[in-house]
Amino acid sequence: MSNLALGTSRKREIKRSWLLGGVFVIWIGLAKLFNGKFTLEIAVPQNTPFTSFVGEVAKSIRGNRTDGAAFKYFFNPIRQIIDGFVTFIREIISIPTQGATIPLIGWLGVLALIGFTVFAVSKLKTAIMAMALTFACGALGLWKDSMDTLAMTIAAVLLSLAIGIPVGIWAGRSDFALKLVTPILDLAQILPTLVYLAPLALFFLIGPASATIATMVYSIPIAIRLTAFGIRGVAKSPVEASVSMGSTGAQTLTKVQLPMAKKTIVLGINQTVMAALSFVVIAALIGAPGLGKPVIEALIIRDVGEGFVAGFAVVFLAIMLDRSTTAAVVKQNTFVPPSPAELKRRKIGLIIAGISTIASIILSRQFAWAAYFPKNINFAEQIGHGADTTVVWITETFSFFTDGLIKFVTVGILNPLESVLSGAPWFLTILAISAISAIIGGFRSALITVFLLGAIVASGLWFDTMITFAQTIVATLLTMLVGVALGIWVGRSAKADRVLRPILDAGQVLPAFVYLIPMLGFFGPARFTAIATGIVYSIPVVVKIVGQGIRDVPVTMIEAATSAGSTTRQLITKVQLPAAKNSLLLATNQGLIFVLAVVVIGGFVGAGGLGYLVILGSSKPELQGKGLVAGFSILLLGVMIDRIAQYAVRRNSAPRQ
Amino acid sequence: MVRNKGKGLRLAVITAVAGLTLSACGGGVDDAASTDAGAGEACGSYSIAMHAWVGYTASAQVVTEVAKAAGCTIEQVTLEEAGVTYDAMEAGSIDLVIEDWGGGRWKEWADRGAVVEVGDNGNVGLIGMYVPAWMAEEYPDITDSANLNKYADLFVTDESKGKGAWYEGPPGYTTIGEKMVSANKLNYTIISTGSEQALIDVFTKAAADKTPALGYFYEPQNFLAKVALARVNFPKNDWTDAGEASGLTDYPSSPLMKLASKKLMDANDPFTKIVKNFKWTNADQNAVAADIESGTDPAAAAQKWIDANKDAVASWTK
Repeated sequence: MSNLALGTSRKREIKRSWLLGGVFVIWIGLAKLFNGKFTLEIAVPQNTPFTSFVGEVAKSIRGNRTDGAAFKYFFNPIRQIIDGFVTFIREIISIPTQGATIPLIGWLGVLALIGFTVFAVSKLKTAIMAMALTFACGALGLWKDSMDTLAMTIAAVLLSLAIGIPVGIWAGRSDFALKLVTPILDLAQILPTLVYLAPLALFFLIGPASATIATMVYSIPIAIRLTAFGIRGVAKSPVEASVSMGSTGAQTLTKVQLPMAKKTIVLGINQTVMAALSFVVIAALIGAPGLGKPVIEALIIRDVGEGFVAGFAVVFLAIMLDRSTTAAVVKQNTFVPPSPAELKRRKIGLIIAGISTIASIILSRQFAWAAYFPKNINFAEQIGHGADTTVVWITETFSFFTDGLIKFVTVGILNPLESVLSGAPWFLTILAISAISAIIGGFRSALITVFLLGAIVASGLWFDTMITFAQTIVATLLTMLVGVALGIWVGRSAKADRVLRPILDAGQVLPAFVYLIPMLGFFGPARFTAIATGIVYSIPVVVKIVGQGIRDVPVTMIEAATSAGSTTRQLITKVQLPAAKNSLLLATNQGLIFVLAVVVIGGFVGAGGLGYLVILGSSKPELQGKGLVAGFSILLLGVMIDRIAQYAVRRNSAPRQ
Repeated sequence: MVRNKGKGLRLAVITAVAGLTLSACGGGVDDAASTDAGAGEACGSYSIAMHAWVGYTASAQVVTEVAKAAGCTIEQVTLEEAGVTYDAMEAGSIDLVIEDWGGGRWKEWADRGAVVEVGDNGNVGLIGMYVPAWMAEEYPDITDSANLNKYADLFVTDESKGKGAWYEGPPGYTTIGEKMVSANKLNYTIISTGSEQALIDVFTKAAADKTPALGYFYEPQNFLAKVALARVNFPKNDWTDAGEASGLTDYPSSPLMKLASKKLMDANDPFTKIVKNFKWTNADQNAVAADIESGTDPAAAAQKWIDANKDAVASWTK
């Protein structure tokens, strides 16, 4: 990059920031002037013609569920098959089989089986860890719920892989297929989970089947993406060699492409498992058995301890499944063939493990002590109490700080932003957002913005959408503030990375509902509760992306700056951050999407907006149409945020002359 | 390749052996358990919807314990109310709602035969808008809804957009606050609290700090015995179905209903009997709820009441 080019791009940037500033000033001025006019606000119990129409459609769907042809021959059979599959797996480890009082395998057998399976695909150390973590779930007094969650996860993952891997192979081998699935995968990735629960429940009713399908919607795209990626990543030459030797397509696939892509595909399985597990809690809203139940219960009675105990069990299961599948990946990677002695030792080990597993299973079916998890091994109370005390201590110790912070965020940032976004005439807001979109993302970005905002106006829920948007923006701003700072730290210091990574990893698997509970205790039913939860949820991903971006800045650039006498501060602000600009944009995008997914859940705790309407619609039949439309509006908002950010990234990475 | 084949074979052998072990030495634990409960009539396995207030927990837990003693297998499933739950009953994943406040929200499902109205459970529910008792003393006319606008300024918070804050019940509850505010032209902003506990927090804080608060509450609820609240009276009630309410008038006092799945009603087993006969008073419910609130395990709290009221329980199982 020549100095000249750097100069013009810098000039363009300065011009852009002036333009942005101008738009903001005019926007805020006009918004003040016309405050409260043309806001399209409608009362919560009020339907628009469109939402009434959707409500009527939903009602007729409900009425058709037993006799309608689509249900008789399509939806109901699917539900019954999935229900049967889930019940089959649950009966092995978690619920009593027909006419019995225990599942097929009691706790000792399950533990042994987990150990054996992990040992067979990786190594002894991982197997012992997997057994210890599973045992810990039992020691939290949540054996049955944990097993239900494990069963649901296994069912959803198996079904997801059954669909995801073939589709992924197809997309890996055919450009047409890839083009076909990519937009769907993109959409699935930004779809906030709360959005598709209600429509799924409408067609598949409430219960394990709906929950499994909802989980699959979330995890199939990941399986597809990584499988396709793996197949495409296989070097050209072996494939060409195979074809030139006269292999058929099927032979090339099974003998060359699949074995060589195995590592990526196993990684895909790992990611699919993690996605499915992260859905555990929210799936409880539509009747999924398992650890989601105690978390939701704890939210309702605001029992911080109970929430954390169940949350820990989710984290334990997550670590167990993550490490076991990762260990399997590592094993696929070892190229050093084991010596005959090692092979023999392993064989003997497997035989011993196998025999003890069979013995444990038999014991767990014969004796009560091996069938029911021992009641006296239960640390739930101590851990719950510990969590409770910690939370109370934090609240009391930092209340001077948190009270001021809430006041500042709510009155100083959120209320003004809300009044600009939702209190101004709708066309002014659309104009302003589109102008901003044009400045940072270009013409096409603006076009899409106008279209999506127009659709939101047409949906009739403009006002509520803007309420949600305001909360999303505020939460993202605060997330970026903290996330970028931590990201710089992690990116610059390997030690910081070592310290923070386990916390970030745990933060990514701990269900958002778990810390929503103490937040509700801290901040009461308020928008800040939703905002704070959104921040905690999205910080890990922002820190990881920013940290990676900073780490990827070429060493030569840093050395050049250091030798030119830059201070650390100059190094960060003048070299590392500008060079990592794309990562910052990407982090903002991910931050916004993550925040949006959680802010709508804030509808449970007084944050209002679209999330509240979604939740209201699921229990008040007369507002079901409005709830479904609100879900759709969340999706439109998510797509808009994502598109603007994508265009901004693209524009930034390919500067024109 | 050879290694892989060996692995496949090994897995096959293990699977076969495991299969054999499972089928050959069928559950020793089961044998013991089934002789245990084999005394009375056979009872099926059912799921009870668990709704999110402590009174409901009390009723559902007592029914659960009585049913378990009668040899039934009961699973408790936490779910939002109304639509969600009726859908679950239609899907066959829920068999019983022990306390529904809905005033007929289930009619559409009942017409389809998915939900069966079993009758009232003896509890009488009354929802209303409340202020802490100190406010009624300081501003005696605040308990008349016509004066709410006069005092709206007292209730302003950072969340309420310059109007009074109206703490509404959770989304799943029977709530018509939005309609009340717009129909009565009240200068208030609705803030959804999301849970019973959040409502209790609001009132506890308002009573302790002598701060103003206007919020949704209901009886039977043991909290009313602990913290004094004053009801704000709206014009006399004229509706039963919340979906049809105009919002001009107050909540009705209504008998709380038991709803069952068709499967449960058709089964005619001990659990059907218990569900049909279950009936108790607001005081009974409050007694169990108080124990649960003070930290007793719900099952133990229910068992305590069952032990103290053997006659009542006996009349349900007859």
